[in-house]
Amino acid sequence: MSGTTDGLDLIIFVALPAVAMVLAIVGFIHRYRNHDYSIVSPSSQFLEARRHFWALVPFHYGVLIALIIHLLAFLFPGLLLSWNANPFRLYLLETIALSAGLLTLTGLCTGLARRLTSVTFRRLTRGGDWLLLLLILIQVLTGVLVAIFHRWGSPWFAAAATPYLRSLLFLSPDLGFVAAAPLLIKIHIANAFILLAYLPYSKLVHAIVVPLFYLWRAPITYRWRTRR
Amino acid sequence: MRRPFGLKLVIAVVVLLSAPHLAGQNASTFFRTNCYSCHTIGGGRVTGPDLKGVLDRKDRAWLTNFIRNPKAVIDSGDSYALELMKEARNVIMPTVPGLDAAMAIALLDLIEEEGRLEESNFMGLQLSDTPISDEDVFRGQLIFTGRSRLLNRGPACISCHSVSNTGLLGGGRIGPDLTRVYERLGGRKALATWLLSPSSATMGSVFRDQPLAQNEIPLIAAFLEFHAKNSLEQPAATGATYFLLLGFCGVSFGLGAIAFTWRRRISRSLKSSTIER
Repeated sequence: MSGTTDGLDLIIFVALPAVAMVLAIVGFIHRYRNHDYSIVSPSSQFLEARRHFWALVPFHYGVLIALIIHLLAFLFPGLLLSWNANPFRLYLLETIALSAGLLTLTGLCTGLARRLTSVTFRRLTRGGDWLLLLLILIQVLTGVLVAIFHRWGSPWFAAAATPYLRSLLFLSPDLGFVAAAPLLIKIHIANAFILLAYLPYSKLVHAIVVPLFYLWRAPITYRWRTRR
Repeated sequence: MRRPFGLKLVIAVVVLLSAPHLAGQNASTFFRTNCYSCHTIGGGRVTGPDLKGVLDRKDRAWLTNFIRNPKAVIDSGDSYALELMKEARNVIMPTVPGLDAAMAIALLDLIEEEGRLEESNFMGLQLSDTPISDEDVFRGQLIFTGRSRLLNRGPACISCHSVSNTGLLGGGRIGPDLTRVYERLGGRKALATWLLSPSSATMGSVFRDQPLAQNEIPLIAAFLEFHAKNSLEQPAATGATYFLLLGFCGVSFGLGAIAFTWRRRISRSLKSSTIER
């Protein structure tokens, strides 16, 4: 069905992922070779500051759950479709995914409000940080809207997005699976590729460090050793 | 300098991926993918006319022109094209992407060749006209909701489609509502033939390698026929509301769990200026 696609689809589903993949790989190699100490996930002492806590913790747990569901649908589409074979289980999985999306959105909005209302934080936020926040906001918002209005996302991902993404990996893109997808889904996919491309050039690079133990370690608190 | 190399790599990959697929489809595959959902060859009328003997009814030049852009021929006021549209209950044949002059000729050759066979490869599904049974409807519902997994492991219908108020939170919304599809397509046989070879972009791709089994199609068709004849209204939109409410419950639970897990995170010995940020 490759004939049903138009130019915009070719840009979104063929050119964009190709450029994104190359930019991500080149950028990561460059950063690793030249600034490898910047590929870190530094503590921002987040568990002790109240608004920061309610921004980062819900955001990261939400994102992790949502990402794991996406990854499962990509790696084990058959398993996911078998799980969904009972409508109750389908509804359960979709509810978990939507809740994770809303949790992420809650955290993101708290974080944005914190940055926007505090003069100190606004001064510390650079252009690249704002761009990253904007991209993540678009991604999370479209994801939540897709989950609500284009149900059901999990079997659609397993049956349509997974074969499309795999066709990309085999360098023979099959756009038939996604060409007829609603606009919101196309934005969600295109923005995901942009985020991938931007990953090694932004502080989002901390995601590949996988600081898993942050999830259960005791909070770190910095204190001055001397009275000032 | 690595940058020029990176740039070259970007260009190389884009060119490689964007290269059009040059391998042409053969007529038989093209027919199965794009035409079979509405036409049989020797299997009788479905949504569109049976194409057996179509070359006896119209000449090649007219047919080539028509199948490449049906709407243009209808709009031109061609009397035969208007008659075809009326017979198809005003369904206009879509313009099929990738159907160029060479493919049109190849398709007409295929139709002529298949038409000469006693039983062509495109006979469609031959369903009986007997009234549907409750058991068929029930088994169709099991397939629709996914409780009976499709034989070739395709996704269940409910993933993308709704029918009446099937399912607590309803069916999917990414594909069209199927409550009235039995009437839209024009009955049991047209519906079954469509399911045999779905021609919509997404379903065409998803079911290309894992088609619906021939014994599943009559059951799904029976389920859809039952709902078209017995459902008075389109499904209510309550599914979305319940789903959203469940989502809010999930968030509340998540926030509650976070608050509980880290309830002792703020030590009394900390200065308030450290916390209130």
